[in-house]
Amino acid sequence: MINIFGNSPELQLEKDASSKYLPIVIAAMVFLAALALMGLFSLHSAVQNWSTAVSGNLTVEIAYEEGQDLDKKMNKASQILRNFPGIEEVNPLSIDDAAKLLEPYLGRADIIKQLPLPRLIEVTISEGSSVDLLAAAKKLSTEVPGAILNTHRPWLDKMIVLARSVQFLAGAIMLLVSIVTVIIIVFAARTGMVMHHAIIEVLHLIGARDSYIAQQFQNYFARLCLIGAFPGLICAIFTMEFLSFLAGRLEAGLISAPSMIVEGWIALAMVPILVALLTTITVRWIVMGSLKRMM
Amino acid sequence: MVRFENVGMRYGMGPEVLRDINMHLAPGSFHFLTGPTGAGKSSLLKLLALSHRPSRGLLTLFGQEVSSLQREDLPSYRRKIGVVFQEFRLLNHLSALDNVALPLRIMGLEEEQILTNVTELLNWVELGAQMQAKPPTLSGGEKQRVAIARAVINRPQLLIADEPTGSMDPEMGLRLMHLFQELNKLGTTVVIATHDIELIRRFPCPVMYLKQGTLHHTDADEYLKRHQRSGL
Repeated sequence: MINIFGNSPELQLEKDASSKYLPIVIAAMVFLAALALMGLFSLHSAVQNWSTAVSGNLTVEIAYEEGQDLDKKMNKASQILRNFPGIEEVNPLSIDDAAKLLEPYLGRADIIKQLPLPRLIEVTISEGSSVDLLAAAKKLSTEVPGAILNTHRPWLDKMIVLARSVQFLAGAIMLLVSIVTVIIIVFAARTGMVMHHAIIEVLHLIGARDSYIAQQFQNYFARLCLIGAFPGLICAIFTMEFLSFLAGRLEAGLISAPSMIVEGWIALAMVPILVALLTTITVRWIVMGSLKRMM
Repeated sequence: MVRFENVGMRYGMGPEVLRDINMHLAPGSFHFLTGPTGAGKSSLLKLLALSHRPSRGLLTLFGQEVSSLQREDLPSYRRKIGVVFQEFRLLNHLSALDNVALPLRIMGLEEEQILTNVTELLNWVELGAQMQAKPPTLSGGEKQRVAIARAVINRPQLLIADEPTGSMDPEMGLRLMHLFQELNKLGTTVVIATHDIELIRRFPCPVMYLKQGTLHHTDADEYLKRHQRSGL
């Protein structure tokens, strides 16, 4: 007689005006929660990508010094690095390459080349090997004056702190959305209890158990929440895809299009189920509590 | 079956509406409950229907002291009690058939069996043609018959009826009283709250009458004589 998508035959909760708009509210809540969740997982995968990209690459910077042969210094530094265990590739950037890198920011490459630019060596670390970066930095600075080994670690650490803060914020938004959803459902369920008090009393007097009455409320509210949750989720996915498209168009190095890991998609698919579960538990708790106050 | 020992009842912090009620209803007995409006009839029926608990005294139903009953035990006790409410309290959005079927559905009976039993009973109370009608479309007497059918559908051990024949014609009233008598012969204890002196005259049974919150016991003859005297 009663199933998850069935009616509430005795209480006729479907005819309540008070809970009619609940799916819209739930859709908005699920939209926000899903966006927060997608942001959380996208940032997680972005941090992973940055970490992988940065931890596998080092840059050696040789400061410009008037009257010094920078090419000689470059060759010496490259030689030292090539002999260092765990280094896969050493790629000294020519003055032309460096000028090309700076061209988008400073203008024409032929003018940049006349500036006192430091020289750069791009270093790739072998996958799975550990390099004693401290020893490498010390050796470089001793044998090649003006050479600095840049691990990008301080920059990455700051980025990770920022990303983690945003992830924490996303988590807080999800928690807040859950709390607000619970409060809305509590009010709707209490209103339903008050509106149907007379019928509940009759059901009690003819021998209905509290769980029989509570189940009608549970099923009804779970159904309303699912009706609202799916459109909310779909809207959130479309929004994220749109943002992803916009971010992809930037073609700006580290600001890549947000991408979600498989766990993220699974978590997203769980949102409507979790909302329905949260609703069912909340409604049962409220209805059973109210019924206990009746004889 | 039912035993009241010095039972008192009040609503919230209000005054006692029932005082020192003592009564014993043996299994299979038939009683009228009467008294002037406001004397406490409805309150006494609420105690019998397990809708309220007494504020003091001992109330024993089916051998169990009510105040010691756990909340989760109440439904199984309520299923042994059939109640006909004065204001019917039918579910307006359900058909007559569904209203009568409700106690059986709550008990989890098979739908086929429910349909057979309900159809039989509704035919008996001459509502066979209106099984799919909803209460707002039924007359007062028809509604009352649906309410009675709902109360007796699961053969209760105790039947409480508040003015059960008040809204129907005398012939149907008599038919229903005979139904109550039949149930009574099968072992159901029946308590009928009524103001109808004719009913008491026609079915001479023990009479309990309430006066200012206290209960008095007598038989039908004595009550009718007293009523005639007070009428004179």
